[in-house]
Amino acid sequence: MKKNTFYLICGCIALLLLAVFWYSVEVHNPLFIEIAFLLGIAIAYLARKRVTDLVEDERSAKITEQAVLRTFQVFWVVFCAFSIGAVMQILYIPQGPRVLFTQPPPALLSPRMMGYFQLALLCLMIFLYVGFRIYYARKYGDWETDEE
Amino acid sequence: MKNKIKVFRAMHDMTQEDLAQAIGVTRQTILAIEKGKYVPSLDLAFRIARHFSVTIEEVFTYDDELPIKGNRG
Repeated sequence: MKKNTFYLICGCIALLLLAVFWYSVEVHNPLFIEIAFLLGIAIAYLARKRVTDLVEDERSAKITEQAVLRTFQVFWVVFCAFSIGAVMQILYIPQGPRVLFTQPPPALLSPRMMGYFQLALLCLMIFLYVGFRIYYARKYGDWETDEE
Repeated sequence: MKNKIKVFRAMHDMTQEDLAQAIGVTRQTILAIEKGKYVPSLDLAFRIARHFSVTIEEVFTYDDELPIKGNRG
C-alpha cells in the first residue's frame, strides 16, 4: 500500500467516526462511538503496517520520542495542577467554628465542568504533540534545503 | 561532531538518495547529518563508514572546540 492511500484511509476513518459520533449523540448511546473509535484505531494500525513506501529511521524515531516526552512533561504538570485544585475543591472542609460556615464558598467550577475541562486538556494534548513534533522536526533538519 | 560524508559521496559519485537507500535511512537524515543538525547513532555511523570502506574516524571527527550538543532535547 502506498503512503497516500494510507492517508486517504485515515481521512475516511475520521469522517466515519464523526458521523458515528453524531449518530451516538442523536440516539443517546455512547456505545456506538466507543466501539467505532476502537475499530477505527485498529483499522488505522493494520493499514499502517501495510504501507510499503514509508521509511522510518532513527532520526524520525528520535523526533517522535522527543515530541512525546516533551508533550507528557508539559501535560502532566498542567493536568495535575488543575486536578489538585479540583480535588481541593471537592474535599473542602470549613475551618474554625463550623456554625459560621453552613455553606461552602461558591465553587469556581462544578465537578461536571471540571470533568469537561480535563477532557479538553486531553484533547489539547494532541495539539501540543503536533507543536512539539514540528519543533523537533525542524531542529533535526526536516526542512533543510538541499545543496545538491 | 564534524563529518566528511559529502566528500566521500563525491568521491564515490553518490547522491544523498543513493547513500540513504544503501544504508536504509531517509535522504533527509543524510542531509541533516551532513549539515550537522543530527548526530547519528554509533550503529548508523559505522554503517556509513563501512559503506565507504573506511574507518569511522575518517568520516567523523570530534570537534573539541564545539560545545557538546548531541541530539538531546
